[in-house]
Amino acid sequence: MVYAPLALPWLLAAGLAALDGRRRSVGWVAAGTLTVHLAALAWLGLDVFLDGPRETVTGGWPAGIGIVLRADALGVAFAFVSSLVLLLALVYELQSGGSSRTFPALVLFLAAGLTGLFLTGDVFSFFVFFELSMMASYVLSAHGGEARQLGAAFIFAVVNLLGSFVFLISVAAIYHVTGTLEMAAVAERMTLVEPASAIAIAVSVFVAFGVKLGLFPFHFWLPPIYAGARPAVAAILSGAVANIGAYGLLRFGAGLLPLELELTAGALAVLGAASIVYGSAQALSRRATAEVLAYSSIGQAGYILVALAVGGRVGYAAAVVYAVANSLNKVLLFLAAGARGPLVGGAFALGALSVVGLPPSGGFVAKVELFLAGLEAGSAVLVALIVVGSLLSFVYMFQIYQHDYWRARPAEPASRTSVRLLVFAVALLVLAAGVWPEPLLLLGERCADVLLAEGGG
Amino acid sequence: MTGVLTEAVARLLLAPSLILAAAILVKGYSDVGDGFTAGVVAGLAVLLQYAAFGYRRVERVLPVRAAVGVALAGLALALAVAFVPLLWGAEAVTHYPRPAEHVVHVGTVELLTAVAFDVGVFLLVLGMSVGAVDAFARAAGERREP
Repeated sequence: MVYAPLALPWLLAAGLAALDGRRRSVGWVAAGTLTVHLAALAWLGLDVFLDGPRETVTGGWPAGIGIVLRADALGVAFAFVSSLVLLLALVYELQSGGSSRTFPALVLFLAAGLTGLFLTGDVFSFFVFFELSMMASYVLSAHGGEARQLGAAFIFAVVNLLGSFVFLISVAAIYHVTGTLEMAAVAERMTLVEPASAIAIAVSVFVAFGVKLGLFPFHFWLPPIYAGARPAVAAILSGAVANIGAYGLLRFGAGLLPLELELTAGALAVLGAASIVYGSAQALSRRATAEVLAYSSIGQAGYILVALAVGGRVGYAAAVVYAVANSLNKVLLFLAAGARGPLVGGAFALGALSVVGLPPSGGFVAKVELFLAGLEAGSAVLVALIVVGSLLSFVYMFQIYQHDYWRARPAEPASRTSVRLLVFAVALLVLAAGVWPEPLLLLGERCADVLLAEGGG
Repeated sequence: MTGVLTEAVARLLLAPSLILAAAILVKGYSDVGDGFTAGVVAGLAVLLQYAAFGYRRVERVLPVRAAVGVALAGLALALAVAFVPLLWGAEAVTHYPRPAEHVVHVGTVELLTAVAFDVGVFLLVLGMSVGAVDAFARAAGERREP
């Protein structure tokens, strides 16, 4: 059952890689595969939700020899959201006729990598799946093939390879001090490790995932790539691949290194705040939509870090809910920014409301969770930061909304109806998350419980 | 750019490197080695040919055009070994014969499904590295001499 969502995209990706992805049939087979994959994840998610985590060891070996695959609420939730983003972006690209020879197969490889990474219970296979997803992302980021995209792809690949290298060093260090790669055992033995080594490991893990997520001091690669890539690719990178960073910080920070997380909470909160302020200020000064969205992502990543710094059940739940809502916002905004015509403007406005955190949108629910986390921490500075960040995002989001949709412009041909309907459907999804927030909130709590159980808190 | 000596060394090194790769591949079960390392060694041997002879001459002598196909075949083989056991209800990546069962030997080589898995990884790594080097060499070569 854990294998189905993992094997399916992988096998089909290998098959489709040999075929020409510009053919419509190949693209639709990929989209169909992702749909079945999502259904399998939903089924697995329901099972995990009702009966608790599912664990299996490859090869029928005892745990510790075979690789542990572990599906818990946190992993399945991130896998589902990321695959949903991939499916939406794939259909969008197929409908706007921008598919290339390798595009559908690469999206499936990315789905296989991300699913493996979210469902593994082993630190090293996490790294392997992480590399598989990153390799697919490197090629995807060059999709389009113009000089601008190639330049951005080069920066993206170099910086993220450095990030992967730092992560590999941390994996080696974890193995060195604990003698195991299985996450559950690592979490147990980490409490006995000398604090100096544990802090060094925690810092390098933080740097590795900070690079992926695009947090403030490690963000410099992010704006050129998000602004230069095609809308579907930008949606994939910000809505699916960036989830690696959020998930990694939660799983490794809150799950495996909870003591170190607590110890460094102050520094994390300061970095998160810096990310929010810097991202918002830069976004304010930009006019191109994709650039504003890119800087906005840096700010949004800051909120996740702040929630993580608050910690505890409320903080972790807020981080999960915020990460999920942020993924949906980003896919909606990037796809809407790439389309033209009726329905698109309204969809973009809803995405903007969601980033700001106004009802009725999924972003509102996430902001409320964050607000509660701030109150729980009893920190007036934190609450003020959330309010100021939201006000700034209100200004920059509606500045570009006004610039893009209210100004008379030379008539641009409207996008195909199917593209506009897809964007509108994503907007409805974000709306649904705001109107009926219980599933999202429940999910956040379940994920927080998983992390607290793992971290022994 | 390259002299007679480089060409001679590159030519002399190709066959021994491939044999070394094969040894690393089949030794992986009782000794140090695996498909990934073997693929890297074989890929480096082919890369050396590109450096010494240029892509045109390499393409004439070695079947490098098949690299992408080789990589995909390797991936398919590795995935098949990993996931086919699920069909009869075993865990993924279950290898046969199981521990303590009888193993067929061919010389010193043990016939295990794990060997097939590593052959898949070997083909994938070799095909990918040669395919990438070939694509880059061709792009650079075509820019120099259009």
